Amino acid sequence: MIQQVTTTESDQTLDAPIAPADHLVGKSCRRVDGQEKVTGAALYGADLFPNSAELFASVVRSEHAHANIVSIDATQALEVAGILGVYTHADVGGTNIHGLIRRDHPALASKRVRYFGDSIAVVVAKTERAAKLGRDKVAVTYEPLPVIATMEQAIAEGACKLYPEGNVMGDKRIRKGDVERALADSHVVVSDTFFTQTVDHAFLDIEAGTGHWDGQVLTLYVAGQWVHEERRLIALALGLPVEQIRIIQPVTGGAFGGREDISIQIYLGLAALKHQGKTIALRYTRSESMRARHKRHALKIESTFGANADGMLTAAKIVVYSDEGAYASTGIAVMRKAASHATGPYCVPNVEVDVYGVHTNNNPTGAMRGFGACQMAIAYEGMMDRVARALDMDRETFRRKNLIQSGDTVTTGQRIDPVSVGLCLTKAIQKFKDQPYPGSDHLPAHIKRGWGMSAICFGLGYGDGFPDCSRARVELSDSGIATVYTGGVEVGQGLLNAMMQIAGEELGLPFESMRIVAADTELTDESGSSSATRQTYFTGNAVRMAASELREQVLDIAGIKLKVHPHEITLQHGWAYETSNSNNRVRMEKICTEGLTRGYSLKATALFKPRTIVEIPNTGQSPRAFITYLFGAHVSQVLVNIETGEVKVERHIAAHDVGKAVNPQSVEGQIVGGVAQGLGMALMEEVTYRDGRIMNPGLTDYIIPTIKDLPPVEAIIVEHDDPGGPFGAHGVGEPPLIGAVPAILSAIYDATGKAPCELPMSPERTWRLINEVCENDPLSKVF
Amino acid sequence: MFHQPMTFEHALDLRSELGTDATVINGGTDVVVAMNHGAIKPTTFIDVSRIKALRGIEKQNGHLIMGAGVTFADLGKMHFRALREASLSVGGPAIRNMGTIGGNIATASPAGDGCVALLAMNAEVQLSSKARGDRWMPLVDYFIDYRKTALADDELIKAVRVHNNPRSRWYKIGKRGAVNISLVCCAISQNENNKTELAFGCVGPIPKVAPKASALLTGETLTPELIDDVANLVTHEVAPIDDQRGTATYRRAMCSTLTKRLLTQLMEDAPKGDADA
Repeated sequence: MIQQVTTTESDQTLDAPIAPADHLVGKSCRRVDGQEKVTGAALYGADLFPNSAELFASVVRSEHAHANIVSIDATQALEVAGILGVYTHADVGGTNIHGLIRRDHPALASKRVRYFGDSIAVVVAKTERAAKLGRDKVAVTYEPLPVIATMEQAIAEGACKLYPEGNVMGDKRIRKGDVERALADSHVVVSDTFFTQTVDHAFLDIEAGTGHWDGQVLTLYVAGQWVHEERRLIALALGLPVEQIRIIQPVTGGAFGGREDISIQIYLGLAALKHQGKTIALRYTRSESMRARHKRHALKIESTFGANADGMLTAAKIVVYSDEGAYASTGIAVMRKAASHATGPYCVPNVEVDVYGVHTNNNPTGAMRGFGACQMAIAYEGMMDRVARALDMDRETFRRKNLIQSGDTVTTGQRIDPVSVGLCLTKAIQKFKDQPYPGSDHLPAHIKRGWGMSAICFGLGYGDGFPDCSRARVELSDSGIATVYTGGVEVGQGLLNAMMQIAGEELGLPFESMRIVAADTELTDESGSSSATRQTYFTGNAVRMAASELREQVLDIAGIKLKVHPHEITLQHGWAYETSNSNNRVRMEKICTEGLTRGYSLKATALFKPRTIVEIPNTGQSPRAFITYLFGAHVSQVLVNIETGEVKVERHIAAHDVGKAVNPQSVEGQIVGGVAQGLGMALMEEVTYRDGRIMNPGLTDYIIPTIKDLPPVEAIIVEHDDPGGPFGAHGVGEPPLIGAVPAILSAIYDATGKAPCELPMSPERTWRLINEVCENDPLSKVF
Repeated sequence: MFHQPMTFEHALDLRSELGTDATVINGGTDVVVAMNHGAIKPTTFIDVSRIKALRGIEKQNGHLIMGAGVTFADLGKMHFRALREASLSVGGPAIRNMGTIGGNIATASPAGDGCVALLAMNAEVQLSSKARGDRWMPLVDYFIDYRKTALADDELIKAVRVHNNPRSRWYKIGKRGAVNISLVCCAISQNENNKTELAFGCVGPIPKVAPKASALLTGETLTPELIDDVANLVTHEVAPIDDQRGTATYRRAMCSTLTKRLLTQLMEDAPKGDADA
């Protein structure tokens, strides 16, 4: 018997119960960009070529790591059939300079080249082949300068200066307590020096895109990580007002910080400006990509830690030298992040940190997943293992004694609450011990098994008072569809879904009713960069705030329709109903139609702009250096062949507190991907230079892990609500990589009894460590 | 010009006519990569990968004969342990489906995993020309210097053969689990007359045998002491260099380590009539 109900609608489906509350936050909604990616329909930068390119560009690069440019002669190049133009610094209308944070990188070098990939001219031709032939015919005359290949050479007396002010780019420091005295009073003092390597982002989607100038607007389809900032930098370099530039992010296959600096945008822009009305295309090869792009900073980290007999840390003295390469880029921020993460999630009462950035003629260095915090975790976790051993104390016990607790402060003086690092460590170790690895216990004598752990923290966002904000707009259409507009870029991490799910959750809409427009400077407002693990927190908050404003409008209209107070209404799965009588209900589309006729905008924008506080320069102290802190802990188990030095990661467990997993599957993906990248950094990845020249600019010799190298990664999602995050969420992008590397090194230490301090632990380095072979060791890092 | 002969005879005609003007391609997993890197810029090709006659594996007079077009995927199914494992260590599935043993021998890289396994098995290679017909030569004589071989300008590689039933072992050290270029690799085989051969990859300009070590082992029963002597001796027979993948010091030490490990395996896995498990 169907109950006769009084409703405001005559829709037949009204008799059906409203679908149960569909909480989009916490649900692994299918990726909105998933189908087009797996079917190949998605258009990445290089996929735009066949459809749109009319002309092609190519970049002339320096053949020297360090030289003055005497002359640039394009005569021969211009004779190549199909060549339409060769453009140099003289053709650039603006400052011709770019650089994220510090602008010091000439788009096209005029007087001097500072690294082997420095760009000198842009060639435009009718075909890509002609562009490359022309490129090879541009005759650049150089006057070679001494090449600064290492940091040691850079700071040596009388060294050739890359910049008038010298080769030391800057320094960052932390001062807390009295380190010398505390070390003198310590029961044990342990010192070691760590060398981390230069790492390439190695994203699969190589730089490629198109540019078009119609006389009014320069339109660039190029993948970056922060379209609005890129627009500003391009505008300055080319001398165009920002409103005459539109950047649209194509589908993007990975970034990892590698797209934070300008890549092909200015070359494409210049070429387009010179060829009005034509669509210009430019793409790198893998080797050009590796030769041109900035890298992860190689660090030398001199660490001294003291502890008392009870196993409490007393002091840490840390000196870091960071290879900044030829141009600064984000280097100063990376140095700061390294300094503020120098002692990780541990209480150390007395701390002295000095981080020096040193210019060399290696590739510029800049952002990469972990941003300085990653390298420091290798050192502080390495030191935890070493100090524990010096105290003859169990590694876990020692860590637990010193891990910060809720309400404690980190090295920069910031009080953190809540702190979940201990919980993460417990969960990871529990899983490791409760579910033993199914592998054989019977190993041949030359195979050693070991396990290790790491506990890490990560300050989210830019921090240190650097302006950091996100905007978002959410709109409802008369058909009840909600569209989120964000300037944030999807680089594979799952930003689109996260933003749609957050807005949908707030509006009580099913995922199917959600749409998103992202990363188009014309259509979206600025949402900051997809970096610093910040989008879920920052743009997520902005999206939630905008959706929340919209929710108020919806409730208001629904109140009119349902003749009840808006506070008595529930929004659920595309319906609004009276909370105490779900039969009194109305569909979202009816609300929207009604609202529009009644003059409601059904649009809302929001700005989320929390404040961080600049550190005190001499001490590095700040009550709020970062907006929030993330925690994680890993356990890794390895097999080491002590005869050959080969290391096999058998098992890897990663526990991360993400506040709240907006999309658990995406979170798991980030964790697994971070572990994979961390495994690469721990065991195989390394850019090698000889006199500033990259020796392995390709994936033949720049070794990244394959599926055969990756054990099943056991991801543990810890959800400890972040009071400041949208629905308690904060983020997960960088921490999984940061935790993975030291856990693997800790496991190697456990298996071999020898403490690794140079990365990557290739078979040869591991063999040298085990056998203490120093002879003929070109692999050894030269400071 | 891209020639794609369907018969070996036609291929020999083309080879005799075009000589070094044409690049022979048999799977393309080396040639195409070199082209993409700009290392070579060929304009004329003889693609022999469609020649069915080159794809066969047959037994003949105590030999196993493999056509030059046999792929690493095919070899990965064989029962010769060193050759099987070496083949399965080449690239990834896609590369193994395309890459051929003939191509591996033609490229003659010191890191050629297939070549190292074959060398240890005393393989012979069959070279053919239109003018002079077929000739068999020991693979060890085929490699002359860095990427320089005995293959004449009008010749094609037709087949490679090994004695049936050697016992063999293989080990490759690389930096990762797949698509993995050798840092050092080692193959060892022992025939029914207790003649043992050792071969190494990446320890000199060509895939390298160790005749002195083999001589020391000939006719002898493996003992730990003998194995130690041989492991020591091989370090003098190899001439590795430092390159960005690894140092001579490490490679030399690994030749000894792998020799010892593989010979110990052979010693411990005493023969039980049939060759390899």
